[in-house]
Amino acid sequence: MNEKEFASRLKPWLERSAHNLGEIQETRLKAARLRALDAYREPVRLFGLVTVAAGTAQTIRYSFVQRALLFLPIVALLVALGIQSMQETDVGELDAQLLTQELPVDAYLDQDFRAWLAKQEP
Amino acid sequence: MILALVLLGLAGPAAAYDPNVPPTPWSQLSANEQRILAPVQSDWEHLPGYQQQRLISSARRYPAMQPIQKERFEARVKDWAAMTPEQRRAARETFQGLRKLPPDKQHELRERWLRERQTGGGRPPGPSHNAPGR
Repeated sequence: MNEKEFASRLKPWLERSAHNLGEIQETRLKAARLRALDAYREPVRLFGLVTVAAGTAQTIRYSFVQRALLFLPIVALLVALGIQSMQETDVGELDAQLLTQELPVDAYLDQDFRAWLAKQEP
Repeated sequence: MILALVLLGLAGPAAAYDPNVPPTPWSQLSANEQRILAPVQSDWEHLPGYQQQRLISSARRYPAMQPIQKERFEARVKDWAAMTPEQRRAARETFQGLRKLPPDKQHELRERWLRERQTGGGRPPGPSHNAPGR
C-alpha cells in the first residue's frame, strides 16, 4: 500500500473522529498540522540518480562539505611542499648548469660580455 | 592556516639566501657528495649554510652529467664557492639572460667572448676580471 492509498483510507476515519473533538484538541491538531507543513520540504534528486528526503540531502551535503574542508589544508600543504621542492630543485639545477657550460664563470661576470648581452636583449 | 601553508611554499626562494640556514658539517655529507665537493672541502666550514645547501643541491646533478660537464664542474666549483654572493647572483642573472636568447645568438656571444679572451683583449682572464661585487 502506498502513501496515497493509505491517506485515502485513513481520511474518513479521521473526519469522523474530528467531529467528536473538543475545541482544545482541535486547536492543538491545527497547530501540529501547521508545524508539519512548515517543516515539510520537497524531496531532492541527487546527481539525477536518486530521490531522497530533503533532510537526508542536507545531511549528505553537510557531510560532503565537512570532508572537503577537512582535506583542504592537506591539499594546501602538499601544494606548498611541491612548490618549495620545485624551487629548491631549480636553484641547484641552475648553478649546476652554469658551472658546466662551455663558457667559464668569468664570462658571466665580464662587463664586456654583459654589455654585449644587454644589446641583444629586446 | 591555508594562507600560512601557501606562504611557507612561497618562502622557498627566500630561504635559499637565508643566512640563518644552519651549516651542514662536512662529516654529514654522503661519501658521494664528499667526493664531488672535494675541491671545496678546505673552505666548507667557512661557507654559509645556504651556500652549502646550494652546492649540495648542484652536486646531486653530478652523476647525470656528461664527462666534459663533470670535468668543468670539478674545475670550477672551487672558484664558484670562493665568489661573493653578489658575484654569484650577477653570474646567474647573466647566465639566465643568455639562455633567453635564440641559440644562434647565444653561440655568437660565446664565440665572441672566447675569441676575445684568446687574443687577450688587453686584460688577463680570471675570476676577478671585471667582476662586480669585489
